[in-house]
Amino acid sequence: MRRVALRGIRAHLVRFVLSVLAVALGVAFVAGTFSLRTMMSSTFSGIVDSTLLGDAYVRGAEPALGRSMTGTTGETRNTVPAGLADRIATVRGVDQAFAEISGPIVLVGKDGTAVQSTQSPSFGVALYPDDATVTIASGRAPNGPTEIGLESATLTSSGLSVGDRTQVVVAGEIRTVQITGKISMGTALAGATIVYLDVATATAIYAPDGMVSTIAVYAHPDVTETSLVANLAPVLSRDQTAVAEALTGDAMRAEARTDIEAQLGFVQAFMLVFAGISLFVGAFIISNTFSMLVRQRTREFALLRAVGASPTQVFASILTQAAVVGLLGSALGIAGGLGLVSLLRIGFDQVGMDLSGSIPLDAPTVIVSLLVGTVVAVVAAALPARRAALTAPVEAMRETTATERSLLVRTIVGGVLTTLGAAGLVVALLAPDSDGSALVGVGAGLLALGTLLLAPFLVRHCLGVLAAVFVAAVRPLGRLARANVARNPRRTANTASALMVGMALVGAASVLAASATVSTRAIVDDGWTSDFSIRSTTGVPVGAVADIRALDTVGAMDVLAYGPTVVVGPGERAGTQDASFAVGIPAEAFGRTIDLDVVEGSLDTLANGAVAVKAATAKERGWSLGDTVTFASRAGAVSASARVGAIIDSNLVSVPIVMSDRLLAQVVPPGQVTIEFLLVNAAPDVTAATLRADLVKAVGPYVVLSVSDKGDFADDLAGQVNQILVILYALLGLSIIIAILGIVNTLALSVIERTREIGLMRAVGLGRLQLAGIITIESVLTALFGTVVGIVLGVAVAAVMPTVFNGVGLTTLAIPWAQLAGMLVLAVVVGVLAALWPASRAARLPVLDAVASD
Amino acid sequence: MTDNPTPHPLEIRSATAIPASAIASARGLVKTYGRGDTAVQALAAVDVDFTRGELTAIMGPSGSGKSTLLHCMAGLDTITSGTVTIDGEDVGRMNQRQLTKLRRTRLGFIFQAFNLVPTLTAAENITLPLDIARRPVDRAHFDQVVAAVGLESRLHHRPSELSGGQQQRVACARALVAKPAVIFADEPTGNLDSRAATELLGFLRRSVDDLGQSVVMVTHDPRTATYAHRVLFLADGGLVGELVNPTQASVLEVLGSLDAAPTADNGNADNDADDSAMLLPVRV
Ligand SMILES: Nc1ncnc2c1ncn2[C@@H]1O[C@H](COP(=O)(O)OP(=O)(O)O)[C@@H](O)[C@H]1O
Ligand SMILES: [Mg+2]
Repeated sequence: MRRVALRGIRAHLVRFVLSVLAVALGVAFVAGTFSLRTMMSSTFSGIVDSTLLGDAYVRGAEPALGRSMTGTTGETRNTVPAGLADRIATVRGVDQAFAEISGPIVLVGKDGTAVQSTQSPSFGVALYPDDATVTIASGRAPNGPTEIGLESATLTSSGLSVGDRTQVVVAGEIRTVQITGKISMGTALAGATIVYLDVATATAIYAPDGMVSTIAVYAHPDVTETSLVANLAPVLSRDQTAVAEALTGDAMRAEARTDIEAQLGFVQAFMLVFAGISLFVGAFIISNTFSMLVRQRTREFALLRAVGASPTQVFASILTQAAVVGLLGSALGIAGGLGLVSLLRIGFDQVGMDLSGSIPLDAPTVIVSLLVGTVVAVVAAALPARRAALTAPVEAMRETTATERSLLVRTIVGGVLTTLGAAGLVVALLAPDSDGSALVGVGAGLLALGTLLLAPFLVRHCLGVLAAVFVAAVRPLGRLARANVARNPRRTANTASALMVGMALVGAASVLAASATVSTRAIVDDGWTSDFSIRSTTGVPVGAVADIRALDTVGAMDVLAYGPTVVVGPGERAGTQDASFAVGIPAEAFGRTIDLDVVEGSLDTLANGAVAVKAATAKERGWSLGDTVTFASRAGAVSASARVGAIIDSNLVSVPIVMSDRLLAQVVPPGQVTIEFLLVNAAPDVTAATLRADLVKAVGPYVVLSVSDKGDFADDLAGQVNQILVILYALLGLSIIIAILGIVNTLALSVIERTREIGLMRAVGLGRLQLAGIITIESVLTALFGTVVGIVLGVAVAAVMPTVFNGVGLTTLAIPWAQLAGMLVLAVVVGVLAALWPASRAARLPVLDAVASD
Repeated sequence: MTDNPTPHPLEIRSATAIPASAIASARGLVKTYGRGDTAVQALAAVDVDFTRGELTAIMGPSGSGKSTLLHCMAGLDTITSGTVTIDGEDVGRMNQRQLTKLRRTRLGFIFQAFNLVPTLTAAENITLPLDIARRPVDRAHFDQVVAAVGLESRLHHRPSELSGGQQQRVACARALVAKPAVIFADEPTGNLDSRAATELLGFLRRSVDDLGQSVVMVTHDPRTATYAHRVLFLADGGLVGELVNPTQASVLEVLGSLDAAPTADNGNADNDADDSAMLLPVRV
């Protein structure tokens, strides 16, 4: 029987190749998604591992104000004196200790623009001459305020070379510097820009008060991290100058990783869900193929039975073939998935994201992929194989059209999941107090799975609507094509599933993006009254503030600055709160350059030292108008207290507390204040165009500053939203490729299956072009079906979000009809492309072969 | 062959003009499958005329070339040499597009099995050739044909819901509804029990007698052949006999003599000529 099984594969080479392809596609989808996920998280933990090389770290013991170099938004702590490093260096077991001095910097590249990629930070770092974790690849270490070193990837992306002169914007001013060396950290940094400064310069800029957030400690060989920390602890507790603690390098790295995971959590969770769905889609494609294959060969199996093979033998022979196909396909699929991810990586590289060079292939990915491919192939073959094995030979030899398995169970399960998912969304929509995001997440997941399961039911009952156009427009081909697509709803649904998932994602994302854009525009229109704003992603240098104030064409200018602080409300115990941000706005600004919607009280009180609190925060913390809040460090040291003078409801300000610029200066240490915006009005009789020209000229040297009016600003924000969508488009690309190949596969098999029928239709006068037309319409219908269901699903989920996430500035629901229409057009293109090969194959079938085939 | 000094009976015949009564004709029709050593000559210079408004049966042993002749006549298969004419049009010279058009408008087909498109209802299957050609359905004719084959109550059923006999009747109706010049049927009753076969044959014959349809039908069953106006006998790719107004007995007699006749492997055409010389007088 084994010989029969293997011969079977050889005899039907096209079918065999197609089924291997189907498995490969399904597995590629799974392997691709999993390894993309692995690659992203390994890149980021790679950054952690290579930037945090210390055996131990010393840092503030008291969670308070401050910002860490990695830019994580995890809890902030008090700072420690840089000088502590010298004392630590003398502790037993310590080889070296360096205060980590770093902060934001802007580097001007060869082309005169800032060296930065959109998502990644840009920072300046103190380079210790005896630090063993970095090596000077060429040139020498920087020395003095006019010299810098550049990390090797930064040097490459800047287009500069060692010895060149360029500018940096640091500490609020522009400096001309010379690049003295190329410095290597030996790791990919996901696009981060790193500029090395000598210790004195870095200290003067980033630690003028001599305080740093961490001190990295390196142990002598043979000293373990734990014993190192044990040695450090007594020294630190004896030291009165700092509230400091020591922790092992591993603990620090784990913390940093957790921070990053938390930040990437959305993407990670998303990728995981996508990978899960990809498992489903992969399984669908594979099981599709096998049920088709076995069906096509039922007569052959019946013949085997007739000549004496037992049901078990027939069953085993089919499963053997399935296993061979499954293993081969899985292996190819893993390779294919890696290929796709490599392509994506090249894509990311083009947009400046340097993802780690490590091969994104880990054991779980390989095992899951192999299992999915082989097990699904075998299981998918088992059901029809059982049927084929058990059918009485005579019965199978007779030409009966195999009856379709009932859709009942699948439809019921799908219906239940869909209903649960929809209920989750509705609850999230109606009960704003519930944990909206979790409900939306779970609801969306259930809805997606439910829809995938319900899809065959939808094909049977709703496809007619989609097909109506074709039926009416292309007679009689449309009707024939519709019948073919509806003939096997399960097959059509499974074929369309990859596209369905991809389109759902992009549909949801585009609705969200459009809503975010419209919401932002509404917020800006509502509250922004200045002519222009000036800002950068890393804050406005102080130098620029003075330069702009000095312009004649500027009538009024208000500075919006923010910084971290701990707010303690009435009745709250000091020391239990996390740091939050407060924004300082000059009292004159209200009504002049900015408008905030006041719910209660008056913004006039801010001039007298009161604060305004956002309504959501006030509700959450139970504060009301007239309450007194204090600003404190966690240890309880009170820096100021203020009355709540206004409750505001504005999405223009994203931080919970608004105060006057004077009060902000009191509650936030100077080093931690960031200037976010300059809001500028024109002087009387100065046109907007003139003012803009002047502003653009003034901010030019600062490289990263942009001048925008309301429209530009909203566009900018929309642009940022779209950048986040890039990763979704990558996944859509993946699912489109899989979808095209999946449709090709199904159609090609279906053409083989329908050889006789095609021959018959050709015999009674169907032309080749007409035949190709039918197959193309089938393909387009399948693609459209997946797309429409996907879009409806995606839009439904996204439509819930503005209500649920109203608090974070998503206030209006906007549906980008044009873009959704574009997706439909894309579906038609996908359908036509996928039909090319199967259609021409079918058209080239000689009529007689078709009539006479057995 | 033209340098053969003695004129051959077949050649004389092949030179003859096509009679006006013929709806479909072949002259010197040769069909060879494969090439070189493995070449099989399925048709060896066949000359044949199918008469307008007649039901003609083609009989012969298995492998004698019946299906091949039908396929070549119908433009379903390419011919190696010779000419095929349908209703005055030279099929052999047609390109694919013309052949498709010919099949769509001038020819009807009934195969032994797989006659129907499973996704279409009986009615849709019947009008399929007209739909493909985007020709309007002549309702009166449609009703007449449907009534004749007795399918009125089955029009909205799918093929899977029809018996084998009903399926073949649908195929018949489909072949007739477009009013083709000629209908080709390849063992249309091959898969049917005798009652269903009788019904179908009666219907085919009536379509000829009542509607003036021309039908060419391949069969290996002598009883089936008795429904024909005329039976042509094929052996080894050559026409070897002809019976007008056949009876079961006369058909069996000819078939018996065919079996008895020695079939040589070489000189196919010559042998055919001798065979036909011997058998052609067998007219009843
Ligand atoms: N596609 C083909 N390729 C090769 N030989 C063929 C093909 N079709 C038919 N033949 C051969 O041609 C001869 C006539 O076949 P056919 O017309 O099918 O016979 P019949 O229908 O009378 O049984 C047979 O010898 C058969 O083997
Ligand atoms: Mg035959």
